[in-house]
Amino acid sequence: MSLYRPQALDRALAFLGEGPAAVVAGGTDVFPALGLRPAPARVLDLSAVEGLRGIARAGDGWRIGAATTWTDVVRADLPPLFDALKQAARQVGSVQIQNTGTVAGNICNASPAADGVPVLIAMEAEVELASHHGTRRMPLCDFITGPRKTDLREGEIVTALHLPHRDGARSAFGKLGSRTYLVISIVSAAVILWTEGRIVSGARVAVGAASPVPMRLPDVEAALVGRALSDLPGAVLANHLAALTPIDDVRATAAYRREAALVMIRRALEGLGQ
Amino acid sequence: MTKVSMTVNGKAVSGEVEGRTLLATFLREGLGLTGTHVGCDTSQCGACVVHVNGQAIKSCTAFAADLDGAKVTTIEGMANPDGSLGTVQQAFQDHHGLQCGFCTPGMVMSAAALLAENPKPTEAEVRHHLEGNICRCTGYHNIVKAVLAASGQDVGQIAAE
Repeated sequence: MSLYRPQALDRALAFLGEGPAAVVAGGTDVFPALGLRPAPARVLDLSAVEGLRGIARAGDGWRIGAATTWTDVVRADLPPLFDALKQAARQVGSVQIQNTGTVAGNICNASPAADGVPVLIAMEAEVELASHHGTRRMPLCDFITGPRKTDLREGEIVTALHLPHRDGARSAFGKLGSRTYLVISIVSAAVILWTEGRIVSGARVAVGAASPVPMRLPDVEAALVGRALSDLPGAVLANHLAALTPIDDVRATAAYRREAALVMIRRALEGLGQ
Repeated sequence: MTKVSMTVNGKAVSGEVEGRTLLATFLREGLGLTGTHVGCDTSQCGACVVHVNGQAIKSCTAFAADLDGAKVTTIEGMANPDGSLGTVQQAFQDHHGLQCGFCTPGMVMSAAALLAENPKPTEAEVRHHLEGNICRCTGYHNIVKAVLAASGQDVGQIAAE
């Protein structure tokens, strides 16, 4: 196995242009997934590439560098728009995983139960991609195409996520698991709200682990707009979650996931209404 | 094979490693520092926790070759210079924060990382921080007590188990 750890992005892209390679940053998903199989022949480590780490204002929105770790997210000074992402960051794996695992890695791993993905989909994240041919951007909800599947093309890496800024927005995330840490979510929910006075003027709600790709629920969002902040949990009804397609598996039944998704959304709304 | 040099427990060390060699393997087999335990090999149990550049990580989830130039601290680096137990280690002994002892190196390293950042954690903070370390003997109560004691807080109120 050859391991390449460049400091310049163009060197990383050139290496990928020469042939396929496993791309790692924190490695927290890649290593355990290998099991006893031999390591890939070529591995590109992005953790030393300059300019890939950190969260900053960029134009009208925000830019999260691909190699930003979950601990970086927790420690960054950010407005309440990011509270949900910080809450998700604190629940990814465990502290040691958060110290090395990255935001972009969570996306590229494309687990239906990824903790970061519902939050970033609710935030309407766009993915910035680069290869030695050039760069492109696409919505995160289109980038993840199925369980463990993305639209990442050969020779391409995720370089950043772009998020729209929303003045005065508040947000919350909740995850249900058999324990809080080191556990794969049974279901998770992310909510972002912005208001005029005490009335909700916009809402984004996404649920994880209840569909092949975490998804927004437009019916829930529509039910929240125009409501008073104190009056939100009761506004969300089971039929608003009809678009979810949860499965039965070792962690829970589909029916339980559907019920739990409703409860997790309501809990997030309770917190935001105070 | 790649040459890798790092500072481990304050000493400059180097060795030849394959690209795939994990930090845990390099420490144990390359340097003979077998205090770092490998429990699950899947980044769950936390027995292999070491500090890399001041941050707690799971050494079964890091390539040694990636850490060229890094400062690494293992359980062997937690004792005082005269060989006596360090503060956290002593607290684990005093409060019986171990049973079979397999998870203990990782527990001590995670606890030390917490105390470096948060010198007076609450019991809830200790429990949260140790979620990435699994004790299969389920000796958590005394482990938490030991960490609180290592922070200089009174643990007289916490009953022994």
